[in-house]
Amino acid sequence: MDTQVELGVRLGISLALLVLAYFTGAAVERRHYASIRKRELRWRSLPAITFRSVPPSWKVTESGLITGSVVISVDYFKRFLAGLRAIFGGRIKAYESLLDRARREALMRLKQQAVEGGYHAIVNVRLETCRMANAGNSESIAGLEVLAFGTGVKLLNAP
Amino acid sequence: MKFDPSLPEDGINVSRTHPLREALLLVGGVAAIALAVAAVAAVSVDLVAPHIPIELEVRLFSGWFDRAVEADAAVDPREQSLAELLGRMAGHWPESPYAFEIAIWDVPEPNAVALPGGVIAVTHGLLENVESENELAFVLGHELGHFRHRDHLRGLGRGVAFSLLLVAVGVGGGGSAVELASLAGEFAQRGFDREQEIEADRFGLALLAAEYGHVAGAEAFFEHLPELGGPGEGALASYFSTHPLHADRIQALQATAREMGWALRGEHRPLPALSTPR
Amino acid sequence: MILSNTETVPGKQITRFFGVVSGSTVRAKHIGKDIMAGFKNIVGGELKAYTELIAEAREDAVGRMVREAESLGANAVVNIRFSTSSVAQGAAELFAYGTAVTVE
Repeated sequence: MDTQVELGVRLGISLALLVLAYFTGAAVERRHYASIRKRELRWRSLPAITFRSVPPSWKVTESGLITGSVVISVDYFKRFLAGLRAIFGGRIKAYESLLDRARREALMRLKQQAVEGGYHAIVNVRLETCRMANAGNSESIAGLEVLAFGTGVKLLNAP
Repeated sequence: MKFDPSLPEDGINVSRTHPLREALLLVGGVAAIALAVAAVAAVSVDLVAPHIPIELEVRLFSGWFDRAVEADAAVDPREQSLAELLGRMAGHWPESPYAFEIAIWDVPEPNAVALPGGVIAVTHGLLENVESENELAFVLGHELGHFRHRDHLRGLGRGVAFSLLLVAVGVGGGGSAVELASLAGEFAQRGFDREQEIEADRFGLALLAAEYGHVAGAEAFFEHLPELGGPGEGALASYFSTHPLHADRIQALQATAREMGWALRGEHRPLPALSTPR
Repeated sequence: MILSNTETVPGKQITRFFGVVSGSTVRAKHIGKDIMAGFKNIVGGELKAYTELIAEAREDAVGRMVREAESLGANAVVNIRFSTSSVAQGAAELFAYGTAVTVE
């Protein structure tokens, strides 16, 4: 009996956590996407390109390294989904939005730094990712760090 | 070379599947795999268990549970009369290859367990709640039935086989996935146990009839077992219980007794100095 | 769609450029392959399942990047870069990104 009660309690806690994480996680994600889209629209006219050199028509007066980085994590519900998906293989859909959000957020922070530094464009944009603490431990934090960096350039003429 | 500030279409990098749909699909898949694994483990152990020579079993497991036996024997005077009763019951199964032993466990829940090597463990909770020797004899007969069908090995083997398979699955899966699978497996195993219990009851009934000439102890045992804090009624309770609901078992008992012509009513013998705890 | 990891598309002129386009994916192999790879790890050698996994992830990510470029009306992606990370054990995560351009 005791083990059954214990099993029931453990299952109940997991289930409650899953439900909670599902709703809060979805809300957090929705809000984050709204904020990303707003900034993407606001800074769309600031070019961020992966060219190693500036386009020949640009007249550069000044340049400097700028970076933007972010660490975000997924909710318990998505981690649960990903754990199950690892058994069957294929796309781990639960983590796709994590990657998407992290990358876009890092790029937006890069652009924000460019705007704050008075740069008109960013060239040679690079993205680097790494995994946060506790790698290799199944209980580890499923956090993703994305670092975006590039060279900000100030221009005489508008791009 | 002109700059175009358009933004690419949104949502290309994220699959459109609804997370709940994905969850349903995955949980269903894991549950199906776990059930299949449990079934394969159970069937393979069922095939192997009856072929394990009893001498081998006794040699392998002798000593595993002995310590428990001795520790209790020193302090529990009930052990001797229990062993004597067990001897009488086992006497009606002369071809039995085991040398049975009794162990008394200091556990408040009423229960009895058949352990590999020929040890029958009964709990304090059980001893304090039976009301006649006949009832106790039925419990011992039931456990002897488990030995007769080698259920004790099956239970052990299934548990081991299933946990091994789960460990294999757990190598790459997340912790919660393994938990889910073990839960599904547990349900499946409980399902298999029900038939074994009813078979063991039937064997216990035969021994009871041989010893007393009637099978009164069996029904009486079940009639007041629900008071002992067993699980509640209902489909879930029935599934969560290792032993099928008493109503099921009583029905099966009555059917067997009728079929074999054993009297369901008869005189109860008093308990052999068991009910007074030390 | 022309894909290139150089600055330009040789023999063609870039007439218009957009921002960074990217594709990302997370993929895993089923558990059986993970276990086999674990055994293979003892003797060493190529882990074919994982080579396959990386190839699938690369195709997936590049495919998504190309779709982003198409949605802009571009006909080439230049200066393509890849970046990997690891959020989940036994999973391949890939970013592919480049600059969407129109060439003539």
